[in-house]
Amino acid sequence: MEKINGASKDYIIEQLKKQIENFQVKTQTEKVGTVIEVGDGVAKISGLSDCMASEMIDFGNNIYGVALNLEEGQIGAMILGNFENIKEGDTVKSTGKILSVPVGENIIGRVVSPLGEALDGKGQIKSEKFYPVEKIAPGVITRKSVSQPVQTGIKAIDSMIPIGRGQRELIIGDRQVGKTAIAVDAIINQKGQDLICIYVAIGQKESKIARIVAELEKHGAMEHTIVVVAGASDPASLSFIAPYAGCAMGEYFMDQGKDVLIIYDDLSKHAWAYRQISLILKRPPGREAYPGDIFYLHSRLLERSARLNEDFGGGSITALPIIETQAGDVSAYIPTNVISITDGQIYLESDLFYKGVRPAINAGLSVSRVGSSAQTKAMKKVAGKIRLDLAQFRELEAFAQFGSDLDEKTRQQIERGRRTVEVLKQDQYEPMSMENQVAILYALTQGFLDDVAVEKIAVWEADFHKYLKSSAKNVLNLIAKEKELSEGVIKELESAIKNFKEIYQNGN
Amino acid sequence: MPLRYAPRDDNNIMKITAAQYAKTLYELTAEKSKNEIDKVIVNFVNILSKSNQLKNSGKIIANFSDIYNQENGIIEAEIMSARKLESSQVHKVESYLKNKYKVKEVVINNRIDEKIKGGIVIKVSDELLDASVARQLTNLKNKLSA
Repeated sequence: MEKINGASKDYIIEQLKKQIENFQVKTQTEKVGTVIEVGDGVAKISGLSDCMASEMIDFGNNIYGVALNLEEGQIGAMILGNFENIKEGDTVKSTGKILSVPVGENIIGRVVSPLGEALDGKGQIKSEKFYPVEKIAPGVITRKSVSQPVQTGIKAIDSMIPIGRGQRELIIGDRQVGKTAIAVDAIINQKGQDLICIYVAIGQKESKIARIVAELEKHGAMEHTIVVVAGASDPASLSFIAPYAGCAMGEYFMDQGKDVLIIYDDLSKHAWAYRQISLILKRPPGREAYPGDIFYLHSRLLERSARLNEDFGGGSITALPIIETQAGDVSAYIPTNVISITDGQIYLESDLFYKGVRPAINAGLSVSRVGSSAQTKAMKKVAGKIRLDLAQFRELEAFAQFGSDLDEKTRQQIERGRRTVEVLKQDQYEPMSMENQVAILYALTQGFLDDVAVEKIAVWEADFHKYLKSSAKNVLNLIAKEKELSEGVIKELESAIKNFKEIYQNGN
Repeated sequence: MPLRYAPRDDNNIMKITAAQYAKTLYELTAEKSKNEIDKVIVNFVNILSKSNQLKNSGKIIANFSDIYNQENGIIEAEIMSARKLESSQVHKVESYLKNKYKVKEVVINNRIDEKIKGGIVIKVSDELLDASVARQLTNLKNKLSA
């Protein structure tokens, strides 16, 4: 009906008449059931004899449920949405559809609920395509190993804990240590790149989500981002399906051969939501009162991240699940589960955070099991030494308080370590391009920073990047193009660093 | 040696469900004369009271009627209409249902509900055939607003 702009009223009426004339009276037999018990977002239903597992059930008034327990004589279903108006004795209908969400290009840039309804007030989302929320992960023959990097724009991660497209890298740490900040920075850094980002907020405070969306909009990052929100006040059923719904939206793009980055913030709350639903459905509790299939809950979700090979379109889904630990306890049930499922973890420590090392990444405990094969050659060359420098520094740090009693070599290692820590510090919302990272890390590892005072390194680095941008653009372009530190590039880079140092010393 | 399992006694036998009671009762009464049935019923109620199952008699009766209907080809249909149906209309519905469910007998329970505006709604166990005017109007509304 959009086409009839400016047409006469008669035309509209004609159209309506036509539609009404063409309307066909159809009746068909439906399966119905009766609500026999309802409480805490879960309903027991009798009847509905042909109901499938995870089939949508229509409670009327635009409220749907999902069948979870199929028992003899009754069905246990979780209610998606407001369950206050559902009474005992209500009639429900089966829909014959497995729970699915709308997918498509028009969702990019939007804030949506796990059912694909708009939450940002920018109008209804119309989509013809639907993807099932629960889907079996791609099989062995469809996959290949990671080969392309995800540039997070964070020096410490891109150098030491590289993430490849199709990888699952866990971000783990206590509350308020900057887990979400890393994820948001990674999204912002994809501006103008080819990665589509999906941020799934599970049981998060609405204020926090609003802040993140505002920040993404401010940095122009909403243009390539979908935000899926199950807020803290939404029913547990929505928190439970949110990551699967977000993944289904990502799978649509993966099937088109595109690359997707998806962030689950956070899976601890997802596990809580599932525990709640399971306990109300009277499934037997296990360790920490989680149900028996809590491992499968997360493994089937994270297995859906994949790098498809060329025969299957070559798309990918990279997952960054987030887990919140309690007082640094990584050996609790959910953290150990998710650590074992993922291809590595970024471990954030509150001690480091309060010391001012931000991002507070513990380089010793953080690993990336597959990402190094996707790292650019230039980055690999400069990053190799950083891990070693940091590891030696941490061993010797205890001796540092003896100061002058140390021999020359030890002192040098400590000084280098201090500078490495300093260089790896990075402000929030300031992701750095790969070529700038390579330049500063090269300067660091080759000892060009050894004569700069530790407390002045931040300023030095900022000026260095400014200098590269204004006077040595060709070096940056060369690194970005070749993605390798060939001898020619090294020569150019070194001369740029030396030039800058000269200017810098003369300036001070 | 400590006992692994509690010894079984009469108070500790496995719980018998209402469906199982109903099935047993049906098997005992099927194709029996009236006299025999009366005897069986008395004994059955005695057993129920002995095992404290009289509180479940409602459930057992419901289950029994389900089993009885199924075995004898009877279905119960609930028909909703806006006005009282004429007997010819009821007969039509009856023969339709007999044909559809391949049964010998249809027990019709007619209810009047003005909310459906017109037409008819037939419900047989958990299957619903909604041919009401109200439903068609909602369908039309959905189609026009889509």
